[in-house]
Amino acid sequence: MSQSQNETVVPEHWEPRILAYCCNWCSYAGADLAGTSRIQYPPNARILRVNCTGRIDPEFILAALEMGADGVLVSGCHPGDCHYTSGNLKLRARWALLEKVIEQSGVDPRRVRLQWASASEAQIFADGVKELTEQVRKIGPIRSEWK
Amino acid sequence: MMGDKVEPRIGVFVCHCGHNIAGVVDVAAVAKMAMSLPYVVFSTDYMFMCADAGQQLIRDKIKELNLNRVVVASCSPRMHEPTFRRVVEESGLNRYLFDQVNLREQVSWCHMRQPKEATEKAMDLVRMSVARAAQLQSLPIKSVNVTPRTLVVGGGIAGLRASLDIAERGFEVVLVERLPELGGHVRKWTHLFPADESGAQIIGPLVKDVEKHRSIKVMQNSEVVEFGGYVGNFTAKIKNHETGRTKSVDVGAVIMATGFEPFRPFGYYGYGESPDIITLAELQELPPRADLLRPSDGKKVNKLAFIGCVGSREAGKQGHEHCSRHCCSAVAKAASDLKDKVGEVMILYQDIRTYGRGHEELYRLARSKFVIYSRFPKDSKPDVQVTANGITMRWYDVLSGDYLEFEPDLLVLASAMVPPGDIAETAKMFGLTRSADGFFNPEHIKLAPLTTHTAGVMIAGAAQAAKNASESVVDASGAAAKAVSLMARGQVEIESTVSHVIPELCSSCRTCVTACPYGAISMDKSREPAVALVTEAKCHGCGTCAAACPSNAIIMYHSTDDQIMAMVEAFLCTPAQVEGGTA
Repeated sequence: MSQSQNETVVPEHWEPRILAYCCNWCSYAGADLAGTSRIQYPPNARILRVNCTGRIDPEFILAALEMGADGVLVSGCHPGDCHYTSGNLKLRARWALLEKVIEQSGVDPRRVRLQWASASEAQIFADGVKELTEQVRKIGPIRSEWK
Repeated sequence: MMGDKVEPRIGVFVCHCGHNIAGVVDVAAVAKMAMSLPYVVFSTDYMFMCADAGQQLIRDKIKELNLNRVVVASCSPRMHEPTFRRVVEESGLNRYLFDQVNLREQVSWCHMRQPKEATEKAMDLVRMSVARAAQLQSLPIKSVNVTPRTLVVGGGIAGLRASLDIAERGFEVVLVERLPELGGHVRKWTHLFPADESGAQIIGPLVKDVEKHRSIKVMQNSEVVEFGGYVGNFTAKIKNHETGRTKSVDVGAVIMATGFEPFRPFGYYGYGESPDIITLAELQELPPRADLLRPSDGKKVNKLAFIGCVGSREAGKQGHEHCSRHCCSAVAKAASDLKDKVGEVMILYQDIRTYGRGHEELYRLARSKFVIYSRFPKDSKPDVQVTANGITMRWYDVLSGDYLEFEPDLLVLASAMVPPGDIAETAKMFGLTRSADGFFNPEHIKLAPLTTHTAGVMIAGAAQAAKNASESVVDASGAAAKAVSLMARGQVEIESTVSHVIPELCSSCRTCVTACPYGAISMDKSREPAVALVTEAKCHGCGTCAAACPSNAIIMYHSTDDQIMAMVEAFLCTPAQVEGGTA
């Protein structure tokens, strides 16, 4: 058994459960390309496709954490490259606030990750899933934080 | 939106995709699990869901069991969503009552050595999709008129061919070319393979036909500066750089034939250090003369050398990993042409790929003329030194197993085809994505190479990938056929996935008005107080407004809050995992 910073006991055989919101045009396509290229990455994330990261209401992320997601990934087009011109910029603006809300609610903000991965950046997408999974694995299950 | 008050009856079809999915994921177990989910009345696994028999199975089960929702767990919806939407529609079901689970690209192919975990992930994804399916609603199928005019961007060989094809079928074309002259790169090529015709000879008649065609409006010295709209109804603002005037054009389809740029290989083989080290493109542009003359002093070239794969096929170097495809044959052609004018021709290469029709013959012709081919290893490139005495090349010859030296009067670098320097801005303006090589992404690399994910925008020629003139022409005719079929129908179905404001819930805060990237939301002043109103024709369906609305007054059709939250719940709140599962 290992111990994380906040003294959480990480149970044996525990695997982080991660929800990944991906925009249809860049990151979902990037995730498809990761598969087509046979890039192997941790199977912990469940991808939920939205048209644009701008569609993501901060409530979707908070609700997921509350329901027991150990980590939430949001992956979209690079700023300036949004299929819908600027939806991702709206999400980025919300994100700044969201991180604070998460921190103040007592949840480790390292459980959420915002990344940009284009349709050709399969490796960046896969690395993002891997990094978040490893990071959350160190922090431990979210249940320990909802006291 | 139509009311779907009847209780959902969901059918789940899990695809093996031959061995692609079933080789990793326990598809039978996934199908069995699905049977236990709420509202699922049928679940099975099957070899190929997209094959005729698989499609028939869906149609049969819809009829037999009165299914009103269909979930197919197979490949990426970016590949076969249109196929399965059509299948359910053929059985009288609204296309928006279908949902697809991605078990191939996002499960079996990326977790190939973890069958247990992959199967668990597949089960979660199916559970999420079934929960979403139960929340799906029929949406009206909408059609819009198609403006019978196509915008062709780029007046190279691809743009010219596409314009002519479209015009000959009786539709109007607006052809925009940035430069003062039509004809692109091909116009400048002296040694054009595979036939014995120069670029100018090939392109001249094509340019003439385009210029005199009554249905083609050619706009030279011009660039598209603004682009908007949707399939069938685009508007482009085109600026003439000479006059400074801007003109607005309505078009129904677009063909991007923006081509490539020859890579200028600074840092490779002394390029830039001597005027006698030039690229293949620069060689082509030398004025045709009886003798081949050295750029530095105008003396007759006696010893000529070429180096292949310059800035191409470099693993790990972004934008330079691809094979530029035209160079091997172009070098063979130029070398055989010039061998008659010079004493010695030496070609240093990594591999020779003369794959096209008539290309291998060029390679043989070069050899028969005693052009010397010498292979160097890919991890030990030739060394080129420029001194006061001239150019010295030294390399390891694979076949003789020895180091060789050559002092050419002129060194020609067969440099890569790369995208134009401003392709990022072009991609952004037209809503296109790009591949790792930097060129525009097709809708599907195998099945839809000429269309893009922006409906109504086609790509042709080297705008899509490095390719030669013959291949660009094939593309152009194909893209033209795509544009014509769109215009000939006169109408096109558009996505019904737009947002809608519930006026009773709107608090008139105008947050959505500023959030919308398309200016599709305005205030409906016929109400007191004025409330937000979505102009559906302008809405692209990103859903940014729905996420921004503080009153939850906006429904983003087919991506509603309820549909999204149902998926989140289905993943995280399954009974077995409530106590912190062992996923």
